Amino acid sequence: MSDVLRVEGLSISFGGLKALDDLSFSVADTEVFGLIGPNGAGKTTVFNCITQFYRPDAGAVWFAPGAERLDRAGHHGSDAIDLVGEPVHRVIRYGLVRTFQNVEIIPELSVLDNVLIGGHVDFKASMLSQMLRLPGARKEEAQYREKAREALSFLSIDHLADQIAGGQPYGVRKRLEMARTLMAEPRLIILDEPAAGLNESETEQLADTIRQIRDRFGCSVLLVEHDMGLVMNVCDRICAISFGKFLALGTPEEIQRDVRVHEAYLGERDDD
Amino acid sequence: MSDAPTTAARLARNPHVGFVVFGALLMLLPVLASSGLLMTSTLMTLGFTLIYAIVAMGLNLLLGYSGLISLGTAGFMGLGAYLAAYVQDDLGLGFWVAVLAALVIPTVIGVLVGVVSLRVRSIYLAIATLTISEILLKTFEQAEWFTHGTAGKQSRYPVLFGVQADRAVVFLIIVVALVLVMMLTHNIVHGQLGRALHAMRASEVAAQAMGVNVLKYKLFAFAVATMYAGLAGALYLFFLKSSYPSTWNLFLSLNVVAMVVVGGLRSIYGTVVGAFVIFAVPELVLKRLPVIGDVSGLPYIFSGVLIIVAIMFFPQGLRGLWDIGRGLLARRRRPAEPVETVRDEVGVR
Ligand SMILES: Nc1ncnc2c1ncn2[C@@H]1O[C@H](COP(=O)(O)OP(=O)(O)O)[C@@H](O)[C@H]1O
Ligand SMILES: [Mg+2]
Repeated sequence: MSDVLRVEGLSISFGGLKALDDLSFSVADTEVFGLIGPNGAGKTTVFNCITQFYRPDAGAVWFAPGAERLDRAGHHGSDAIDLVGEPVHRVIRYGLVRTFQNVEIIPELSVLDNVLIGGHVDFKASMLSQMLRLPGARKEEAQYREKAREALSFLSIDHLADQIAGGQPYGVRKRLEMARTLMAEPRLIILDEPAAGLNESETEQLADTIRQIRDRFGCSVLLVEHDMGLVMNVCDRICAISFGKFLALGTPEEIQRDVRVHEAYLGERDDD
Repeated sequence: MSDAPTTAARLARNPHVGFVVFGALLMLLPVLASSGLLMTSTLMTLGFTLIYAIVAMGLNLLLGYSGLISLGTAGFMGLGAYLAAYVQDDLGLGFWVAVLAALVIPTVIGVLVGVVSLRVRSIYLAIATLTISEILLKTFEQAEWFTHGTAGKQSRYPVLFGVQADRAVVFLIIVVALVLVMMLTHNIVHGQLGRALHAMRASEVAAQAMGVNVLKYKLFAFAVATMYAGLAGALYLFFLKSSYPSTWNLFLSLNVVAMVVVGGLRSIYGTVVGAFVIFAVPELVLKRLPVIGDVSGLPYIFSGVLIIVAIMFFPQGLRGLWDIGRGLLARRRRPAEPVETVRDEVGVR
């Protein structure tokens, strides 16, 4: 089994605060990988370093999406490449797609249009042909609308396709964000606290959805959680971090038994 | 047997057909004027309203869809006007070259200004456009060879396809230009381009994660807005047959902002209505009222008050009122108000 993502020696500080300190882990092909840690451990910061919103002070983010997606991003060959220094808007071309902890949607647009933005990088029609609505541009638009409907039906919200996204309940908006990731031929989907704000049965559904996406799209999933419930249920392996440092790596059972992990979370409870 | 009704229904639903019908109705106005049912001065006011609607359409793309603001609209519009006069009258190159120059040159300058300012931060576009507009205004006053300075540049109605145009023909040209601009704007906002602009306005961070090259799309929106302003400038010149530097001041730029805000962000017909309310209403109604009509600076006060009222009470502008009215008529509940945009999480918490 080869690795899709290999994070090596990632470090970043904000002012005096070392938010990540020499952190390394890797995500295997078609694996669901969990990253856990108490609040403020640096989980979102890891995401932002992988997706190049933050430029790490040191370290590398090796990504091996395969020849097809490398080609889409303008690279030849099929070796892993280091994403560090890549412009943010180009990262998705490699098939690395994320969701946001706070759910980012366009409230004024329909649910379907929101999903369509996920396919942005695959639109080939030129600006001019879109402005003139030439047949090529229209055909492409129709084709991706179809694909977006499929993504919505995969998340069981296709009946809401034409409604305004802003008025939808939180659960629907989270699903919408997931559907959007499916538009970009994902190789690795990274989800930032996808279970936050969901109730128990919704969280169970989410676990099913994550497995289905992995099986159907043959991609890996990296998910960050503060709460242990979902990760224990769905992840193949889990990496625990605390104060930006590596703590433990293993199967859900191993992590559950790990003393250091317990201490980290207990320490958090003391803080509250 | 026949599928004529479905074809008709499909046509009726096609927004482009709506734009054409709208244009055809506007084309009746010169006919009304020539038969004496409409005063010539009213026709002039309505012609300028349509010209301002074209400029405002560009600013709506910028402000409404992309969330950017330009305060230099008047400068680019004035540049379009003087270029049209210079190319048509001084160089003698005719109508089409004049229009082309008014489209291309302001756009190129606009893109340069955009490249320099948008790289830094979105708000810098407002500052840079304000500056460039002031520079252009000074140029209009000083560059006598180009603009005839404060004495004003005099021009004439254009010759099209070998035929000398008159006021009515120029009005028709304005209508055709407006309909084309409405169609183009509609196409831009209802496809991948429009979604990218929407995404960018909602959250630059999320837009980038979706693969939107934010700088590229900001430049695109600004280029289109500048192009519309250049076109509107040329039409202004052909319609009035003269241009004075004092026309192209900051008040005009702010008035265009008012048209967009009052008419309704992200609404094509709303923009036309906004242009009518901000430009034509003071001209046709307020100035003719007793007492109030004599107050100096009345249009300034009027647009100022409307902007404040719109921002405070009708953030969706007149388009929003229209939606509410339609909703009441249909006795249907309006779709829920969009909830406030969810903020990006990158950054300090
Ligand atoms: N842009 C930033 N500027 C300053 N400090 C930051 C920034 N981003 C994150 N941090 C800090 O880094 C630490 C890790 O934050 P974060 O990655 O959001 O934690 P988590 O997602 O695990 O809750 C926190 O102490 C946070 O305040
Ligand atoms: Mg976080």
